[in-house]
Amino acid sequence: MENAIVRVQRYNPETDRKPHVESYRVPLTPDTTILDALHWIKHERDGSLTFRRSCRHAICGSCAMNVNGHNVLVCKTSLSRQLTGGRVTVRPLPYLPIIKDLVVDRSTFWEQYLRVKPWLVPPEGKPGKEYRMLPEEVAALQNAETCIMCGACYSACQVVALTKEYIGPHALLKAFLRVLDPRDAIPGERLREVAGHDGAYRCHTIFNCIDACPKGLNPTQAIETLRQLAQKRGWFEAERRERQTRLNGAAPSNGG
Amino acid sequence: MYRSLGFLSFFLRRLTGVALVLYLATHMWVIGSAMQGPEAFDARLAMVQTPFFKLAEIALLAAVWFHAFDGVRLILVNWFRITSFRASLLYAAVVMTGLLTIVGGVPILLFILEG
Repeated sequence: MENAIVRVQRYNPETDRKPHVESYRVPLTPDTTILDALHWIKHERDGSLTFRRSCRHAICGSCAMNVNGHNVLVCKTSLSRQLTGGRVTVRPLPYLPIIKDLVVDRSTFWEQYLRVKPWLVPPEGKPGKEYRMLPEEVAALQNAETCIMCGACYSACQVVALTKEYIGPHALLKAFLRVLDPRDAIPGERLREVAGHDGAYRCHTIFNCIDACPKGLNPTQAIETLRQLAQKRGWFEAERRERQTRLNGAAPSNGG
Repeated sequence: MYRSLGFLSFFLRRLTGVALVLYLATHMWVIGSAMQGPEAFDARLAMVQTPFFKLAEIALLAAVWFHAFDGVRLILVNWFRITSFRASLLYAAVVMTGLLTIVGGVPILLFILEG
């Protein structure tokens, strides 16, 4: 059976002063994924190797790691396709504190996520009829809805590398989803939050978030849309209120 | 450091921006000497007429073009929602920068060679 050299960044805060790379010779088949290789190392070579994984179907977002310098989901990344000279290098997501080996501390990721109130805030009162959306609106939201919160975009962002105060592409994508959702009653409040000092205008349009997203989403475009809407927040808010009143007979009570 | 084409573009845009600011300061330093009379101006102008500064002018030309074209690229990508063309437009910006630097740089090189 063919073999591949898998170089894994290791770090145990109890024994190591700084991270180092260890190499493992792993059996290689055409179907082997990076996650399979990590499992093989853990089961056959070193049980102390630590990494996050859950679904193995690219839907839970647990196994985002940095492979050969790029953030990917290791469960859907073929080992053979990542080999360069028979080697591949696996590191934890960059710019985040390492807890152990390939596990990073995602606290700031979730803190920033909660900051944009990622849940839907419906208008008070029972709507008279169903919410209507244009096909273009559904298409725009579908882009953001399929985010699995893996953190690949957040950790690839150069602005996040500089400051953890930045809301981040993941949370701004979610804010975009809620702002454009015609059922949401607080688009004005959301736009005020994302237009702040550490919000959408902090993005330097480097596009790393698009390159890193394993689901092919487009946070940069969402951020640009938020910037444009933030400039006409008053009009957008009034238009949303009028639309909800007209279509559903339910006006938002807390318009932001 | 998360390496990507986007980061390279971001880095070059910053680098060329700093180069433009430095040029502006030097330019004002030279032009400002005119306030002290024609002799002072001529003397300071002669200081920047060396082959080194002429080559630096070619580099400055490249910096100006890249900074301009990359800026236009970002405006196009943002306003026309064409993020899928971000890499192609960057390559176009680099090619245009190269062509226009050659067009503007050749006369400067000839000036250096002719002494």
